[in-house]
Amino acid sequence: MSAVPLTHVLAVAVALFSLGLAGALLRRNAITIFLSIEIMLNAANLALVGYGAHVGGYSGQIVAFFAIAVAAAEAAVGLAIFVSVFRHNETIDVNKIRLLKW
Amino acid sequence: MSAPRLIFDIAGAAAVVFAAILVVHRNPIKGLLAAVVSLFAIAGEFVLLSSPFLAAIQVIVYAGAILVLFLFVLMLLNLDREAGPEEGHRMQKLLGFVAIVLFAGMMLAAVRSSGALAGSSGEPAPTGEVVPLAAALFSQAALPFEAVSILLLAALVGAFVLARRDSAPRPPEERP
Repeated sequence: MSAVPLTHVLAVAVALFSLGLAGALLRRNAITIFLSIEIMLNAANLALVGYGAHVGGYSGQIVAFFAIAVAAAEAAVGLAIFVSVFRHNETIDVNKIRLLKW
Repeated sequence: MSAPRLIFDIAGAAAVVFAAILVVHRNPIKGLLAAVVSLFAIAGEFVLLSSPFLAAIQVIVYAGAILVLFLFVLMLLNLDREAGPEEGHRMQKLLGFVAIVLFAGMMLAAVRSSGALAGSSGEPAPTGEVVPLAAALFSQAALPFEAVSILLLAALVGAFVLARRDSAPRPPEERP
């Protein structure tokens, strides 16, 4: 049981996740969308660590650790895809990328 | 109100405000710097939740490595010329906004009704020491740990292959 109540942790996590969702749905710049997804991942990590501190044990921290490692891999591959798409299309505005559309 | 709780609330407010700047700001570089501040605030919250190792990982890997990678890619892409107003599909934006409001309301209601229900697992609460975390990581999670190292290697090779510039561009008809 930590000094911080679980409800506060979850409230911050929900606010961060909703903001990340807003960025991912409303923005058109692919890199900003990707950053918003990173914010959503961090909100999930925060909830995991908060539950871990509340419930006891280290499982929450271990899962958050793996989430950070997978996010690093995802960022590397995703940014490489953006570089490749930009080289092909001269833009990363998601309204103008229509690779899968005739 | 205890001091850790107050600091946690301040850090949480900072994280939320700077994440909002990321979402709202038109310049992607300034948005990215706001995201760095938000991730630092989350690292501070990790410290208050007695997991300083994850806070260090957050600063080194997230704020240090991943966001510098983002910054480099933004610099390479040179997006200044398309900084104009983002016109988009109005219906799509409206529905997205409605979805976000519904989602946030639903989650906040869930937190309010069930946030206090999580009981203790009987295991000792984390004290902030790294040694028990390492013991748990290398015993019960040893296999996922190795799998993550293979995943990172695959991501390294994949990023290299995707972002590589062909030294001799092939004629268009040979492209698959």
